[in-house]
Amino acid sequence: MDVTALLASLESSGLATRIRESLYLFPLIESAHVIGLTLVFGTIAIVDLRLLGVASTRRPFSRIAADTFKWTWAAFALTVATGLLMFITNADVYYANWYFRGKMAMLACAGLNVLIFERTIGRSVQQWDRNPAAPPAGRTAAALSLVIWICVIFLGRWIGFTTTQTDLKSGPEIDIEGLFPAGLDDASASKTPR
Amino acid sequence: MFVIEWLSQTPLSLAIQTNRWVVPTVQSIHIVAIGVVVASVLMIDLRVLGWAGRDQTLAETVARFGPWLTWSLVVLLVTGILMVVGEPARELLAFSFWLKMSLVAIGTVIATAFRIALRRHERRWEESIVDRRGTKSLAVATLLIWIGIIILGRLIAYDHIWGAWSMAPKA
Repeated sequence: MDVTALLASLESSGLATRIRESLYLFPLIESAHVIGLTLVFGTIAIVDLRLLGVASTRRPFSRIAADTFKWTWAAFALTVATGLLMFITNADVYYANWYFRGKMAMLACAGLNVLIFERTIGRSVQQWDRNPAAPPAGRTAAALSLVIWICVIFLGRWIGFTTTQTDLKSGPEIDIEGLFPAGLDDASASKTPR
Repeated sequence: MFVIEWLSQTPLSLAIQTNRWVVPTVQSIHIVAIGVVVASVLMIDLRVLGWAGRDQTLAETVARFGPWLTWSLVVLLVTGILMVVGEPARELLAFSFWLKMSLVAIGTVIATAFRIALRRHERRWEESIVDRRGTKSLAVATLLIWIGIIILGRLIAYDHIWGAWSMAPKA
């Protein structure tokens, strides 16, 4: 099955249709996505700032990691699940969108960064666990992580501004021109709820 | 209505409207700051619930996350104001917006009252108040309030779901 056919079948699936046809589902899924991603970013930032020696420096690194670890993963699972649900509603458009592609590439970088950290400096945690900051390799990984995740957030927000979802259910038309004098409502020119 | 009309004609609003990159940029910064707020609230609440940070006192936990909470709320206020100035009709006519602002007010009052109470009666908080069921319920409620704020923030973009309660222009 080639990509185009796969995207088309995702998009025509019962689940995708159901989300598109509902007035509430897409907004609620997107809200859950934001809850998930803010928790992912926030909890990861706590760990990164500890590695950098900026915050929580008097607590061992392993304790900070243990406090946040399960929340990061639970939130990440929520973010991935809701992200997939949004993706299938308009798969071909997202797939073709360069901000979406950039975001996926950044997520891959984030994963790779964690993997490299775990396989290298992460192995010697006991030696620097109580130090106020991690060794250079750990600090580099932490700084990269912060930059990557902030990029993920920016790229994600840009997807919403560069994709149109014409099928998505909207509320009843309101006569804006009648409500306000001309020149006020430039924002409504964009079709995508953002 | 008058306020919206006036705001949308201010030089700042016009500048935001003509530079299309500003709104997504400000929104992205807003989300980054929300991440800091929600994680800070989570860690303080988990400490109150006894699910994390047990090696730290309550006061130490608040000292670690409190300032980050305060400063990211400042960032949220500034970026939030920029969004209102840039798209006044979208924000000020949205039912979600006013519901969100009410929850922000409640969340901020609870956080401030908690920090003042903890500072005044630190010993009693550490020894007994933190273990009260009411305190733990408040911790859960606080987290739910901030999660509600996130949901309502996103729903500003879909304010039509409120039907007749929404006056926002169609996105």
